[in-house]
Amino acid sequence: MRYQPVMGLEIHAELLTDSKVFCTCQNEFGGSENTRVCPRCSGLPGTLPLLNHDAVRLAAKAGFATDCTVNNYSAFDRKNYFYPDLPKAYQITQFEHPICTDGHITVVGGKDIRINRIHIEEDAGKLVHDDYEGISMADYNRCGVPLIEIVTEPDFRSIEEVQDFVEQIALRLKYAGVCDARMEQGSMRVDVNISIMPVGSTEFGTRAELKNLNSLKAIGRAIEYEINRQSEILDNGGTVVQETRRYNDNHGDTKALRSKEEAHDYRYFPEPDIPPVLISDEDIQSIKDSMPEMPQERFARYTKEYGLPADDANLIISSKEFSDFYDEAVAINPDYKQISNLMLVEVNRQLNDSQLTISDVKYSPADLAELVKMSSDGVVSKNAAKDILKIMFDKGGKPQDIAKENGFIMDNDASGLEDIVNQVIAENADSVESFKSGNQKVFGFLMGQVIRLAGKGANPKMAKDLLTEKLK
Amino acid sequence: MALAKLREMLDKKEISAVELTQQYLDNIEKRDKDINSYITVCAESAIEDAKKAQNTIDSGNATAFTGLPISVKDNICTLGVKTTCASKMLEDFIPPYDATVMEKLKASDIVMLGKTNMDEFAMGGSSQTSYFGGVKNPYDTSRVTGGSSGGAAASVAADLCAAALGSDTGGSVRQPASFCGVTGLKPTYGAVSRWGLIAFASSLDQIGVIAKSAEDTGYLLNGIYGYDANDATSSKKSEGNYTSLVGSDVSRLKIGVPKEFFGDGLNDEIKTAVLNAVEYYKKLGCEIVDVSLPSLEYAVSAYYLISSAEAASNLSRFDGIKYGLRSGLGEDFNDLIKNSRREGFGNEVKRRIMLGNYALCSGYYDAYYKNATRIRTQLKEEYASIFEKCDVMLTPTAPTTAYKIGEQENDPVKMYLADIYTVTVNIAGLPAISTTCGYDSKGLPIGMSLIGRAFDEKTIIAVCDRFEKDFDRKEAVL
Repeated sequence: MRYQPVMGLEIHAELLTDSKVFCTCQNEFGGSENTRVCPRCSGLPGTLPLLNHDAVRLAAKAGFATDCTVNNYSAFDRKNYFYPDLPKAYQITQFEHPICTDGHITVVGGKDIRINRIHIEEDAGKLVHDDYEGISMADYNRCGVPLIEIVTEPDFRSIEEVQDFVEQIALRLKYAGVCDARMEQGSMRVDVNISIMPVGSTEFGTRAELKNLNSLKAIGRAIEYEINRQSEILDNGGTVVQETRRYNDNHGDTKALRSKEEAHDYRYFPEPDIPPVLISDEDIQSIKDSMPEMPQERFARYTKEYGLPADDANLIISSKEFSDFYDEAVAINPDYKQISNLMLVEVNRQLNDSQLTISDVKYSPADLAELVKMSSDGVVSKNAAKDILKIMFDKGGKPQDIAKENGFIMDNDASGLEDIVNQVIAENADSVESFKSGNQKVFGFLMGQVIRLAGKGANPKMAKDLLTEKLK
Repeated sequence: MALAKLREMLDKKEISAVELTQQYLDNIEKRDKDINSYITVCAESAIEDAKKAQNTIDSGNATAFTGLPISVKDNICTLGVKTTCASKMLEDFIPPYDATVMEKLKASDIVMLGKTNMDEFAMGGSSQTSYFGGVKNPYDTSRVTGGSSGGAAASVAADLCAAALGSDTGGSVRQPASFCGVTGLKPTYGAVSRWGLIAFASSLDQIGVIAKSAEDTGYLLNGIYGYDANDATSSKKSEGNYTSLVGSDVSRLKIGVPKEFFGDGLNDEIKTAVLNAVEYYKKLGCEIVDVSLPSLEYAVSAYYLISSAEAASNLSRFDGIKYGLRSGLGEDFNDLIKNSRREGFGNEVKRRIMLGNYALCSGYYDAYYKNATRIRTQLKEEYASIFEKCDVMLTPTAPTTAYKIGEQENDPVKMYLADIYTVTVNIAGLPAISTTCGYDSKGLPIGMSLIGRAFDEKTIIAVCDRFEKDFDRKEAVL
């Protein structure tokens, strides 16, 4: 039988706050074990959580980035379970009253994916297993790192929709400054709930929850595997079990972690140590006003106002830093098309060759804007501009200075150039003869000689005109 | 002796802080083997505290608490001093920080004599569930002190400290104060920071004061109240000056007497003594108002559901992984957690954890926890309407006086029902004070409670003080 997959996502994203969500420990990635731990986040008796309001603000921003309603009233609950990486043996989360609800994102094919909710919660620590010694050790650095969980409705019907959604979420969270969305580092983690049903059916099947998906590719492979696995079960007359499955990227398969029967009863109840979070309409508005331009808005601006082709606009917005760089450059020199071309071709080539990102380069958007202006004003030639960009990349420096130091400034003195042209014609009598007898190819050689003598500052058009004139 | 009087003596150098501290340490040495009110006595550090205090006094910088020797309940974290919650689980736990209340008092060079005994994790009304043995009542050492702050109450009653810090989740300051013939104040929820108070039931717990008089409870509350950024549930509404109305005319106040508190189950001698107190205020000129708290009959159930649910969660952190007792038995971490908890907790604590988890299970949550929160809302509303009719409500503190050790502590239902007169105050977050209003035929103290509007401790302290000034309190004879 042919089956239709039905999928919903749960996405955990680490918030870019300076400190943890319920204490003042630094919120960072990496570092030695248990170096960012205090009595609060390690659950010492007598300690109480201290809500980081930056986390609330960022969660609200995530809501605005996904067209959610940001609620005036939200509240924390406790999710109770024992595990050695959870020092209090409960996770503080938002269960009944999440901060954001009812959002949506449009994915490929123009389809709307509904977002049920976004809530704030704390991350757990990590266990480090030492198989040699046969012991496990707890690292609490990640305990209390602020997370949001974005929960969608089961609206996905294809891998492409899922991947597009995940890409868009990652980009929007980055743009909003909410999360750096590095899936491979785990700062954004995607769980896929997936069931299948016969094509044409409207009744959902039993779902499995897929975990440990560290890239878009892994998401695609895991879903594909799972569709096949569930199809095979149904085709053989079996029933799919509701369970959590872990994806293994080395094997490209999923393995059962725990079934519904083994699932915890989390005994949720309202967190008595934190009063409900009340955000006034004014505060909600001011958070909304502080939202940076989202990628989809930038796309519209680039294509409609700047007249960039859709493909170019998409390439620029795909990295916020790259797009910011572009915006800063065009703010100085509104030559949208030329700057876009230079960045998408020459700059991208530099970055690819060197494995760097735009934030690493030695020149500023202003330098780039200036360079494009110098080129379009005829101060330097197009070829000289490329050479200047290379020097800017390698050593840094202002394009004006580089042009002057290297003699790239276009020389518009016709009399000096005329002397050189005369000299070249005089010294290359054979070639001149050859040209006059119809060999057009020789013109290039003669031009080369002129430029060689005149230097990179020579005005190529002027040289060409003069040479043409003299060769008549 | 009154704290204000001790202050005066210290300031006038009629006694030195070291001498005063030594007196109490001598008392502890002599008497506490019979009472068992302290788990940890800090003899050496108390003398050090006192020397430091004396220096402050000598340099003319003494403040309200400089050199006053107090006891601290063993669920309040004290930097570098064992804080056990009277549990095997935390037998050797030494906190790396002070509770906010301790920080405040230490800044004023108070002297800490030691940590007082209690029911394990403050769960109980007898102070007999302590891992370190039960506390005995200074009025009759064959009887209980009440609980859970039994050690705190006994330490005050037996002159083993000048005043005591306790904690009150469902009556744990007021009921032992009543059993031990002293005064116990439970402040408004949020008036005192809970930072450093090892949580039993977070939405009900408040640190309170036990002392020889209402005025003394206010005196000490002045040193510990106030908003604390470390406790998000602490409030900015408290104004301090808790003794400012002491001695003022209270005769124009209206005193509410709720009929539900004088029904079946109340011992006749207690009823008589408490109604005599009502009569006292009436003669004083106060208007006595009949009020009603219809939801009282559900209060004990609601209290045990909410407090046990929160406790089950709060006590989950004691898993043998990070601190506290760790069982060496078992194969994996699940065994480690199970066995540590099995060995570390006593029966009453286990009972509450099971009760609480049961109430929170999906499928039971609505019937138990959710309904309990509805009762909570209902009680708050009923109190709000009561305080439209009166300024202070007067009730018995407990349905009995101190009973014999072993008489009823092993009957959980009977024990729970005995909390009926105290729990509504915690559920509604109100302040209340208990003082002695008489003695039964065995000479045991009878307690009455005055309940006030939220953040209006001043009034109940003043009303209580008025009664105490005309009441002949009998000291425990040891």
